This record gives sequence, structure tokens and C-alpha cells, in this order.
Amino acid sequence: MRRWLLMLGGLLVWAAHFFAVYAAASIFPGDPAAESLALVATLAAIGANGILLWWTLGRKRTAADGFDEWTWRVGAIGAGLSLLAVLWQGMPLIAST
Amino acid sequence: MSVSETGFDPELYKRFPTTGERPPEEFERLKRAWAAPSGIARLTAVNNNFVGLWYVSTAFLFFILAGGLALLMRTQLALPLTGFLSQETYNQVFTMHGTVMMFLFAVPMMEAIGVMLLPQMLAARDLPFPRLSAYAFWAYFVGGLCFFASIFVGLAPDGGWFMYPPLTSTTFSPGINADMWLLGIGFIEISAIAGAIEILVGVLKTRAPGMTLARMPMFAWAMLVFAGMIVIAFPAIILGTLLLELERALNWPFFDATRGGDPLLWQHLFWFFGHPEVYIIFLPGAGLISMLIANLSRTGLVGYHLVVLALLATSFISFGVWAHHMFTTGMPTLSISFFSAASVAVSLPAGVQVFSWIATLASGKPQFNTPTLFLVGGLVIFVMGGLTGVMIGLIPFDWQVHDTHFIVAHFHYVLIGGAVFPVFAAFYYWMGMTSRRPLSERLGKWVFWLMFAGMHITFLVMHLTGFMGMPRRVYTYLPNLYWEWPNLVSTAGAYIFGLGILLFLFDLARNFRFSIDDQAGNSYGGGTLEWLPNGLYNTRSIPIVHSREPLWDDPRLGDDVEQGRYFLPGTATGLRETLITSPLRAEPQYVQIMPGPSVWPLLAAVFTAGFFLLLTVQAYTPAIVCGILTIPSVMRWLWETDRPVPQETVDVGAGICLPTYVTGPSTHGWWAIVILLVVLGMVFLMEIFSYFFLFGIHTSYWTAPPGFVSLLPVLAGYGGGAGLALLGRHLLAREGSTVWSPTTQLLLAAGAIGFGFAVDLLSWREHGLDPTLSAQGAIVYAMLGWQGLMVALAILMAPYLAARTSVGLVTRPHNTTFDVVTLFLLYAAAQGAMAAVVTRITPGAV
Repeated sequence: MRRWLLMLGGLLVWAAHFFAVYAAASIFPGDPAAESLALVATLAAIGANGILLWWTLGRKRTAADGFDEWTWRVGAIGAGLSLLAVLWQGMPLIAST
Repeated sequence: MSVSETGFDPELYKRFPTTGERPPEEFERLKRAWAAPSGIARLTAVNNNFVGLWYVSTAFLFFILAGGLALLMRTQLALPLTGFLSQETYNQVFTMHGTVMMFLFAVPMMEAIGVMLLPQMLAARDLPFPRLSAYAFWAYFVGGLCFFASIFVGLAPDGGWFMYPPLTSTTFSPGINADMWLLGIGFIEISAIAGAIEILVGVLKTRAPGMTLARMPMFAWAMLVFAGMIVIAFPAIILGTLLLELERALNWPFFDATRGGDPLLWQHLFWFFGHPEVYIIFLPGAGLISMLIANLSRTGLVGYHLVVLALLATSFISFGVWAHHMFTTGMPTLSISFFSAASVAVSLPAGVQVFSWIATLASGKPQFNTPTLFLVGGLVIFVMGGLTGVMIGLIPFDWQVHDTHFIVAHFHYVLIGGAVFPVFAAFYYWMGMTSRRPLSERLGKWVFWLMFAGMHITFLVMHLTGFMGMPRRVYTYLPNLYWEWPNLVSTAGAYIFGLGILLFLFDLARNFRFSIDDQAGNSYGGGTLEWLPNGLYNTRSIPIVHSREPLWDDPRLGDDVEQGRYFLPGTATGLRETLITSPLRAEPQYVQIMPGPSVWPLLAAVFTAGFFLLLTVQAYTPAIVCGILTIPSVMRWLWETDRPVPQETVDVGAGICLPTYVTGPSTHGWWAIVILLVVLGMVFLMEIFSYFFLFGIHTSYWTAPPGFVSLLPVLAGYGGGAGLALLGRHLLAREGSTVWSPTTQLLLAAGAIGFGFAVDLLSWREHGLDPTLSAQGAIVYAMLGWQGLMVALAILMAPYLAARTSVGLVTRPHNTTFDVVTLFLLYAAAQGAMAAVVTRITPGAV
């Protein structure tokens, strides 16, 4: 299960982020609190992705065999992709300020 | 360095292929074990070869039927003010076209191809629950045909494939047409979920040894993601259909704004399912393209790991874009901006796949044959649909084209390019696996060009019709709006497309001859395991996989497998068996004893279909009889399963011994029940979402709940039930306990859970909350109803376990059925307790 979580970690962070920003925007429509909460969620997701990226790249370098290396590579690219996606998803915050 | 996931020593793989002759009678025993009944009893067969073929054929039949409806629509729209179809009939026709294509063709076709191909592709003897596959097929077959037949008697649904209330409320849709959709589709979703559980467990647990996640065929990856998405997405539509049917049948106002409901709740529930549904259809198509493009180009897929990641990323993001179907509903600007950003982001993983396919074609040696044409044609069409998808992901653009023919053109490009053309490529490519003769290459190219040209002539011009302002779902239009020519061209294109399908049917009739042991074979030179010599047992022995295209890398593999030189070269117990392997590295874990043919899944499916369909025509007594008959049918089907065999371990080849009966979290049964609980949990989660959504919309309609004191006996019942279930599980493993003491705990646990539910229900009744007066009452009673269903199942399961105990079928110290019942009881208790707490502590309800 731990392996699955690390492999899919980036994508899970991405999903958590978009549900968090939707929730913030829907629960506090038109309220500055929505933007503040969405910003906090975005920063948290960026941080989580950074940690995941660092972790999976480290594991990839010390992988025991080809399959191990493959799973960490998928995890690392997933975290990288998620980092980009979270930044992109945070853009409406900039547009709204 | 050898690394193991389960403790299995990978060095043991070096013992294969074995040398020496296998006993001559071994192969005959294997064939006998997997033989299917003949004559009318063939309908009770559960082998994936038969069930898969029936499934694919039925799904294709629905494609033809829904395509016929499309031609009716196009004929009606060819000219302005035509009277070919009346307005009422047109409404039924477009609703049925969309519904049948989405629910009865696209998703079932992908499941069907999975059932047909996956066991061979993974070198399993069958998927782990063959009777579940048979049940899923028969439920779909009977339910689907009855549902479709409604159009012949004017009872077909007519509210569009998304059935938005208030249009579909009893006020505006007073007949039973809408009920036909709600109950019919709700029921067919059950079949889809059954298939998804089978595919998830099959891909994760029955792969050939050595087929790690990094060596899995791309189609298997796509089906894994597809099935996972069904498990998460379909509960939303199950709940949605349930709520709308409750509103229609019992006047519970979930979607009635005058009593605290909100029609937008339906849109959220529908599109939380509906948008992932598009990817549920596309991702298996993408898996087919990835796999076929590599095989037909005679090379490996470029960027395999990136394509895997793209599949996974698409599945995750697909759950975050549902509200882009609701840009015009007046949601907060910031919300729709987030949804717009996410919608556009989908193009990233889709683009990764498209570039991988182009690179694979460029680096390989593709041939000019029919499946390649369908792949390349599909790719072109899909990319065009994707580009318009990015356009409508942008809010201002979407506002302009919303509900116009532009949208119709967009999604037909995506679905025909992303699913229909890959499915046709698959038909041509894999025909040699099931037919004595392959399909004609010459006719195939005609079929392709007719379909390709017809598709563009129909839908390319439809973008323009949409830009010119023609709305969707109108049965006719006035002259002199400049819509005549584009509509006439679209209609001509539709008939050209239809001609292509007709030619395909002709070729099918001429060349398709089903065969188990005399197939045309691997005419396109594929390198994956489904091209091993096979029969009803699928593969004589289960090979070890060292690469993604084992047949290219080891030309002797087919012969070695056929000579029984790998795992399970016969039947070790005389019964149907397959090898269960670990989910990451596919290391052998145990031998699964599989059930054989049975009439009970067929009967259970017929009775389940009868229950739902008879309800739609308000034949309540026969419906209840069918519902009751479903229960013993399912129990009888399960009764023959989960039976240990005398041999505790068996030699699976090369002196390697594996157990024949294993329980606990590593087993296929455990995985299946956990996935089922995830489905049930998702329905519950959607209920919680609906509860808070309705609360947030119209707080003024909400009243205080019963006091916290009423919570105590409820929680005591549920807590006691959970405790007793755990105690029962503990006693089963204890040697000192009597035969009956563990089961007795589970019987008491079911009783305690029933008590908790009864107290909860009574407390709300005494409190006076009326489900017909407010959305709060409706949603609280809906949650109670769902919990009541869980309690009823728990109360059925516990005596079933007692019956198994009475005949000595509950093994000790561990037993799979016992584990399944325990897990279910724990889930029912947890869900009931959470529902009781949530409905009492919600701030506005206090």
C-alpha cells in the first residue's frame, strides 16, 4: 500500500488540491476567505509535491532493481506533473486579485 | 539482486521451462475440467471465451440499434419543418440514442472486450469471479433489451440522456418514461460495477508470474484504471437515480426548490459521474490504441511509463472537471475558473499519449492494413475533438456554444475517435483469436474510408451549424435560417457512416465463424500473451513473463507453454484453477479453485432485471416476487464457492508447491469485498455531499433534529454490532471455541446493527420529520433508507453464514465467507453510526 501511495502520491495531492479549492470557492462564494483558503491549499500542495519529488527521486537513485526504479520514476514524474498542475490550477487566484 | 514482494524466491523462475515429457493424460484432464456445457445448457457456461463473445456481440447490437436511432434523427433534421418524426417521438429517439450509446454500448463494450481478452492477455485461466462476469452479462443483456424495447411502445424516456429535473419531475414528465430511464439505467449500473470488480481484481491478482506492473500490456493498464474509475464514479449516478425516483414515486423533494430542494444537486451528482464517464469510455480506447499501435508498428510503445502515468493522471483529473458542464448555471466565478483551469489541464496527459502514439508510429514499421487505418484515423478524429474540448473549457466560449450543435460535434469527435475507431481496430486485429477466418482486408479498407469520411461529413459541418446558433434537441427548425445546407450535409454524412457499418456487418456475416480451437491466429504478428495457443482453459501452462512483448522476445514460448513446461501444466486438483499472483511484481501466491458452469448467475440476473423493470411499469407484486427470488438465486450461486479441497498444497510445476486455500488481505475474495465496500462507501459519501449541499442552499427549510440523547442507543447498537463482529472473527481463530460460537457472535452482531437502525428510524419518526415536506426530511429518510438496505443485507448474510456453519463449510482458523460477512457488518455499523451523527450535529440542524 505504501508503494502505491508513493507512486500515486503526486496525483493524490493534485486531486486533494482541486477538491480543496472547489470547496473553498463554493462554501464562501464571493468572500475573500475563499481566496485565502485556496491560496493556503495551493501552497500546501506545492510543498507536498516538492517533498514527494525529493523523496521519490532519492528512492529512484537507490532502487534495488529495474522494477523498483520504474515505480519511483513513475512516482517522481507524477509529483512533477502534479506540481505543474497545482501551479496552473492556482492561476485563477492571481486573476481574481 | 533478487527482490521479492511476498517472500517468493524469484530464483525459482530459473527452473522454467521444465524439460521432459508431461504425463499424456494431463492435458485431457485439463480440457475436461474447463469443458463448457453444450446445447441449451451452454447458456450456463461461465468461461470467458463464451461470456466475452456474448458480451461483445450484445454491446455491438446496441451500437447498431442506437446508430439506427441516429439515422432517424438525421432524417428528421435533413430539411426544415419535416414531419418524419413527431416531436414526442423525436424526444424519445434522441434520449434513447444518447442513453444507449453511453450506457449500453460504450461502457459495456469496453468491459466486454476486457472479459474476452484480459485472461488470455494476462495468461490467466479466467478472471477470478467467472460467475460474476456471467451475472454482469446476463443482467445487462436482459435489462438492456427490455429497456430498449420501451421505444417500440412509446414508453422510452424523453428527458435527454442526463434527465435534468425539473423537466423530469412528475409535473413535467408525468408518465412512466422517466421511470424507465431511472430504474433501467440504475440497474444496468449494477452490472457495470460487477464487471468492474471482476476486472480490478483480475488485473491485479491473476497476471502471469513475472508480469510486473512495468510489463503489463497497456490495455490491461487501461482496464485497471477504467474499472477503478467506475468504482468511484458510478455510485454518484446510482444515488442520483435513486433520489430522483424517490422524488417521483414518493414526492420527496430533493430537487424541488419550493420545498428546500435544488435541481442543481442532480446536475452535480450526474456530472460527477457523467464527466468521468467520458474518460471511462476513452481510456480503454486509449489502451487499445497504445497496444495495437506498438504491435502493428512492430516496436515497443515509446514512453511506456509516461503513457501509464497519463492514464492515471487522466483518471484523477477527470473527477475534478464535472462542473464544466455547468458553466451557465450561475455558479460563483472563482469556482468555475478553477473548473476551467482543470478542464484545460486534461489536455496535458491526453497530449502525452498522442505524442507517444505518433512517435511509436514514426519509430516502427507500420503496415498499411485495416486496423492501422482505424488507429490512425481514430487518432486524427480524437485530436480534432480534443482541440474543440480545450475551446469549450474556456468559460466565455462555452457560454456562446452551450447547448448548440457545436457541442454535439465536439463530443462525437472525442468518442468516435477515442472509442469507436479503436474498437473497430480491435475487431480486425483480434478477430483471428475467435474466428476461423479473419475479416477481409479489402472490405475493411472500404469500411474504414466510409466511416472516416461519413464521420467528418456529419460532424465537421455540425460545428458550423452550432456556430450559426442551432440548439441541440430541437426536432425541427424554420427555413431561411441558413441551417438547411449544413443539416442536409450532416444527414448525408450519417448515411455514409451507416453504409460503412452495413459493409462491416456483411463482412462479419461472410467471414466470422466462432471457434475455440481452430482460430485464424496471429495474422498481424502481435507479441503479447493472448496469441499463445489456447482453448477453453485459455493457456495450457502459465508462462513466466520477462518483457512487455514476450512472444517477440522468446519465439519458443508458445511451444513451451503448449507442452506444459510452465506453471500449472494441468489441473492439480481436477477442478478449474488459476494462479493468484501479487499485485506489484506478480509473484505466485496460491492456486485459486474456480467455479464451473451454473444456472444460478443467469437466474439471479433475470430476477434482478425483473425486479427493476417490473417496478417501472408499476407491476409491484411480480416485482417483489422477482426481488425475493433473486436472494436465493444469489445464495445458491455462492453456496458452491469458498470450499477448500483435500489437497492443502499442490505442485504447480518444477517442484514448486503453493497452497490451495488462503484467507485474509492478500486474497482475491478480500479484495473484491473491499472494492464493493468502496462502492457502497462512495454512495454514502455522495449522500453526505447531498445533505450538506441541500443544507447550504436553503437553510431556512431546516429544523432541529432529535436530541443527542437519542443518539446514545443508536451508537450503542452499532458499536455493539461492530464489537460482536470482531469478537466472532477472534473466536474463529481460537482453537478452544466451539463450532458455533464465532457464527453466533455474527448473528448477534447483525441483530445489534438492526437494533441501532431501528432506534434511529423511530427517533426520526417520533420527532415528526416528514420526508414529503422538506428537502431535509427527504435526504434524512433517504440516508435511513440506504442504511436500511445495508441492515437488510447484513441480516441476510448472517443466517447464510449460519447455514454454512451448520454443514461444516466454515473452515477454521480462517474462512473467506466469514471474513466477508465480518467486513460487511463492520462497514454497516460504521456507516449507520456516521449517518446518525451527521444528521444530528449539522450546525443548522441543532
